[in-house]
Amino acid sequence: MWILRSIQWGARGPVESASARCYKSDAKRGAARRRAKERHNERQATGFKSTPLTPPPSSSKTVDPMIRVVDVTKSYGDTVAVQGVSFDVAAGEVVGFLGPNGAGKSTLLKMISTWHSPDRGKIQVAGFDTTEAPLAVRQNLGYLPEHNALWDTMTVDRLLRFIGTMRGLSGAQLAQRRAWVVDRCKLSSVLQKRVNECSKGFRQRIGVAGALLHDPPVVLLDEPTHGLDPMQVVAFRDFIRELATMPITSGSAAGTAGRAVLFSSHILAEVAAISDRILVIREGKLLLDERTEVLKDRAAAKNTTLEELVVGQMAAQGKEVGK
Amino acid sequence: MSKHQPPLREGARLSRLIAGRDLAAALDSSIAPVVLIASLLLVNTAFMNGFFLHGRVEMSSFFQAMPLFLAVFLPALSMRLFAEEHKTRTIEVLFSLPISPREAVLGKYLAALGLFVLFLLGTLPIPGLLLVMGEPDLGAIVSGYLGVFLIGAELLALGVLASAITSDQIVAFIAAAAPGATLVLLGDFRVKRVLDGLTASQSLGTDIASWISPLPVFEELLRGVVGVSSLIHFGAFTAFFLWAAAQRLDRKNA
Repeated sequence: MWILRSIQWGARGPVESASARCYKSDAKRGAARRRAKERHNERQATGFKSTPLTPPPSSSKTVDPMIRVVDVTKSYGDTVAVQGVSFDVAAGEVVGFLGPNGAGKSTLLKMISTWHSPDRGKIQVAGFDTTEAPLAVRQNLGYLPEHNALWDTMTVDRLLRFIGTMRGLSGAQLAQRRAWVVDRCKLSSVLQKRVNECSKGFRQRIGVAGALLHDPPVVLLDEPTHGLDPMQVVAFRDFIRELATMPITSGSAAGTAGRAVLFSSHILAEVAAISDRILVIREGKLLLDERTEVLKDRAAAKNTTLEELVVGQMAAQGKEVGK
Repeated sequence: MSKHQPPLREGARLSRLIAGRDLAAALDSSIAPVVLIASLLLVNTAFMNGFFLHGRVEMSSFFQAMPLFLAVFLPALSMRLFAEEHKTRTIEVLFSLPISPREAVLGKYLAALGLFVLFLLGTLPIPGLLLVMGEPDLGAIVSGYLGVFLIGAELLALGVLASAITSDQIVAFIAAAAPGATLVLLGDFRVKRVLDGLTASQSLGTDIASWISPLPVFEELLRGVVGVSSLIHFGAFTAFFLWAAAQRLDRKNA
């Protein structure tokens, strides 16, 4: 079983494949070490650091990744916002993107959403390249941007209808999907209100409803719980977990068991509560890519908190990156 | 190109949806209706004043004043199109939908064109009054309105481009009004004469005017000459400004 997991893991991005090396079988260990060393050297050359000797994710998903980010770099003028980042997100997986403000989380999500293009590297969503086929990517993507901007003067109902029709929904299908998001995001009380008359929490839910209206197989949420009260945050976390495992019923990905959900936050407790996996980014570099349960086990073994563990690891990785 | 743009029919559907949303939003906001009503009051009053002073049953003075008026008035309608989306960050939501910059530009342009048509409809009491008062040359009025529509369409496309460049509506207004007025003024005979005098060839102003100013073509339409070259001139400039706006919005080219 470990061998199988290692092989699947080895097909992933550079961080994972390197971190998997101590879990290979004895027979393959030598070759795996050589390959891992080569990749490690390659990463050193690009400034990319691996997570030291961490076990591979114990994910049982065997499907192709719904999001694949390979060695992506993005600069704005002289500022390097994202540097050599690689990771995958599989269908049914919830991955939390953690990092301080200005770490590069939103830039990466903007690139995955096709709003920005990477200067270097490749991004695929549901098998489509973000620069080669941006429209196909957007068809397969539900995106809640940072700040959750909405067309304020529209009523919630008109806004949802507009987004639905822009997404190619019509008639009974639009009515069904609209009813579903209104129910799940609890929007029935504000349907006839203008967006600018809704509270911050409602606005956030309207944004999420718009992102899920077309039943996308990939969901990107940039700071999704921003502006929600504690009760709403708890309910929303459950909703995200449920979303990942809920089968897709319409569109080109119909029948796929679960969605790939990638969300960003700067609150570790929130990321740990929702995610199967945690990605930590700082100064544009991926410092950590680890399964949440592994991090929790490691924190328990060291008799420390998850926060202290991750902060300690970030500090250690940060020193290496800064060398 | 096809990979980045939906099929033509789907593209037209998306542009129509954006146009409908934007037109409704513009009429729902305070700026567009106020600008429309104020402009209509201004042009109708100005015409009536001239009409009762000179007592001529024709609209030539009205049409001749329109290009410069439109160069300043239309940017007030177009300035918010993309600048507002940039400022409120809804542009990111818009482009998370499966549309290309081409559809977005066309949709917003159609919405602005809709407002302009509303403005033109608001000036119809003028020919209505002329019909009641006498027997105006209907052909001249129709070709005059065609000229006003075409020059307005070109200036609006310039306004869409200006709005796509900046997130500040005031900057968008100035970036459309200043070059728009310049384009119009370059065709004015006084400006042409000054520019002609600046060079040895004595034809710089005339050459510039014939190539880039919409005014000489507009004046041909006022004289009742509706030629293919006129339509090509307005069509080419309008298409160029819209294409440039779409290029600006395409992040890969930014």
